[in-house]
Amino acid sequence: MKEVDARGLSCPMPLMLTKKALEDGPAEVLVHADSGTSKQNVVGFLSDQGYTVSVEQDGEEYRIKGVRA
Amino acid sequence: MAERRVIGPTAWLVGGAGLFIGSAAAWLVSQGNPGNMGLCIACFLRDITGFFVGGSTNQAAVAYIRPEIIGIILGALGAAIATKEFKPRGGSSTLLRFLLGFIFMSSALVFLGCTVRVWVRLGGGDLTALWGIVGIIAGVVAGIFVLKSGYNLGRAKGLPAWTGWIVPAIAIVLLAFALLTQFSGKPDFATLTPANGKAVVPGEVVVTTDGTVIKPADATLVDGAVVAADGTVLADADKVAATKPMPGGKRAPLFISLLAGLAIGVVAQRSRFCSIGGIRDAILIRRFDLLFGVVGLVIGATVVNMLFGQYNLGFEGQPVAHNDILGNMAAMFIAALSALMLGGCPLRQMIMGSEGDADGASAVVGMVVGAGFTHWAGIASSPAGLTDRAWPALAVFAVILAVIAFAKRVRIA
Repeated sequence: MKEVDARGLSCPMPLMLTKKALEDGPAEVLVHADSGTSKQNVVGFLSDQGYTVSVEQDGEEYRIKGVRA
Repeated sequence: MAERRVIGPTAWLVGGAGLFIGSAAAWLVSQGNPGNMGLCIACFLRDITGFFVGGSTNQAAVAYIRPEIIGIILGALGAAIATKEFKPRGGSSTLLRFLLGFIFMSSALVFLGCTVRVWVRLGGGDLTALWGIVGIIAGVVAGIFVLKSGYNLGRAKGLPAWTGWIVPAIAIVLLAFALLTQFSGKPDFATLTPANGKAVVPGEVVVTTDGTVIKPADATLVDGAVVAADGTVLADADKVAATKPMPGGKRAPLFISLLAGLAIGVVAQRSRFCSIGGIRDAILIRRFDLLFGVVGLVIGATVVNMLFGQYNLGFEGQPVAHNDILGNMAAMFIAALSALMLGGCPLRQMIMGSEGDADGASAVVGMVVGAGFTHWAGIASSPAGLTDRAWPALAVFAVILAVIAFAKRVRIA
């Protein structure tokens, strides 16, 4: 599983890092984010790329998990 | 494997938000705001600067606390709290963000509008906005090159909860000054552009569109001409008729502006509408959702402007705009590049600041200070075009941006 730490980063870094992580088509990807904007962007991007997305909130952090459908 | 999409469901959310913001902006013009300036983050922050220091910064024509700004901050704050997205944070190159905000504002005032107003202008039929849009696309492409070279401003961290209340507190103070000025007159230190005021001879002869002479105090209007007490004609009728009202004096009623701002703040916070992010994402990651925002804005503004008879297609005689092709392109190039290096447009910075983001707030403070400087230093354009100082200023800004872009190539992984 690929992991991306997008916490505290401005746009468009969370998406750039997520896109990079998807380059070799991993079956699963986990993105750590901490703002509503990056959560919404990453969730949208992963589902557009054909991943099934689930979000878990842990305090200040969102754990966004994508599983290739 | 599921099909890959380049347009996702959020496209319609952002597009709807753009439609709303564009419609609201055009409607605010019908309520009294300046032409094609129903909503402009740069102009409105600049007007607020003018209210407080305009006497020293040569901003008599652009001095008014724009209630839209207060509304946007409080609306975004409410939406962020309701959705548990109010999270005080900061520490991602805060001072550099101030500087980038400063540069953004200064170049926006050379263009005469921010990266939001450029779309609002296009929606009013102002084709000179197209030169600005060419500049924005070039600035975004340059910014993508910068991003790909490894530039970033570093990570923000959580901050104590109370720090998130600084921006809302400032909004409340602004609201207090706006209400005070509305109901019992402006404070002595402040500058306030007279409502519908026309500076026939700037600083000396000021009348309003309904024919009241504001300056000099003893002059009167005789057959449309301004005549002094001793019979001297200070400005002939043609000159009075040809003078356009000052932008700061054109304003919708306070509570209408405030309510429109509140709605725009909520919509922008929920949708993540961004006036440059659409072009950026389309080129950088081939995702088109955010682009629907500016397209929606132009459609909304166009339709509402046509409904109110405010639509005027062409390059000439557009309100608060000039047709200096290269100047428009270069100014929006610098503005878009600095916004891209900030991570979003001025509206986004303000929304983030309202969510508790000290870095976004720092960019907005940079814009406010930059506005005062730009007018004081004679860099801001007028409808007559660029000043002699605009090009040297843009060149200096380009060098500063290049230095920041080069210096901030940081590994974050």
